[in-house]
Amino acid sequence: MNDSYNYVVLANKIDRQFLNNFSEYPEIGELPYEELTKKLEFHPARRIVFNNTFYNLREKEIKKIMELLSSQNIKFILITSDVECSLYGDYIYVYDGYQKVLEGLKETVLKEEKVLKKIGYGLPFVVDLALQLNYYDIFDKIYWNMDDLVRDLWS
Amino acid sequence: MELSKLEGRIIGVISDNFQTDDFLDKLVSDIIVKKVPESLKMVQLENAVLDKKFRELSLRDKSKVILASKLHDQEIVLVNFSKGLTFKDFSYFKTLFKKIVTYGRRIILVDIKSELFLNCVDKIYVIEKDEVKYATADLFDKILELYIDAPKIVEFFHKCEKMGVRLDQYTELDELMKAIYRIKA
Repeated sequence: MNDSYNYVVLANKIDRQFLNNFSEYPEIGELPYEELTKKLEFHPARRIVFNNTFYNLREKEIKKIMELLSSQNIKFILITSDVECSLYGDYIYVYDGYQKVLEGLKETVLKEEKVLKKIGYGLPFVVDLALQLNYYDIFDKIYWNMDDLVRDLWS
Repeated sequence: MELSKLEGRIIGVISDNFQTDDFLDKLVSDIIVKKVPESLKMVQLENAVLDKKFRELSLRDKSKVILASKLHDQEIVLVNFSKGLTFKDFSYFKTLFKKIVTYGRRIILVDIKSELFLNCVDKIYVIEKDEVKYATADLFDKILELYIDAPKIVEFFHKCEKMGVRLDQYTELDELMKAIYRIKA
């Protein structure tokens, strides 16, 4: 693993057997926002496994968690079935059951539209929309952030 | 709060008052007891799951088992059913929910993911401290954003609106794309 990357693991069979693949790192499950921030403020680990941790959180809360992790220089491996969360990672692993089917930098993996849709994850909305806009020759690049896409689309 | 008093056939509820079902060490065969083969098939689970303990299942299979156990109830209440599900699952189960309610039954989705409500629920209720604090039939209603993150397509609509671009309230990407293309062309 690259020390400077945050990883997202897209998985559709998140059980104990699957999670054992990441057992060398401390794991945090679902927690309310306040409890999670408290836990992360003085966390001694340099890398943490988030097991579906962001499920209960709103997007603005997740963004604050990202800032907190960055300020604490803590890296993460986020395990989730929610493809929207893949935007938080630098490097993505995609699993179908226990089988790894894709891995690579976010910018590469999220362009694998056919594979991601076939397995069932789909694409993050902003990436899907950007790809469609590319097909329609309105854009010639992919967007990872909706504000940037909307600004460039209408400005 | 009696959920049965809420109006609608497929109802979305935003609330912290309800707990996800947890059957801990119970065997799946003791959880799904009505019309077992049919129920498993409808939620896309294999027969082998019956021999497993609920605790051992993946988040996705837990959601499916909970649904299978309630499939033949008159009123199906699912709390955070979206947990562990993929985008494709959402689509499959929304179709299933629409089919179920044609038999005169009701489905109540207490959930944190508004994407599950999109193109599915008739009405959305915000329930706090056992009281209905807000109700709407419109996922584009901005007040809802006080309580839940909007579906991404709705968020996009609101961001465009802020830029002075008024689109119709599309809930499918294909239709939205055509509308954008018409404007840009």
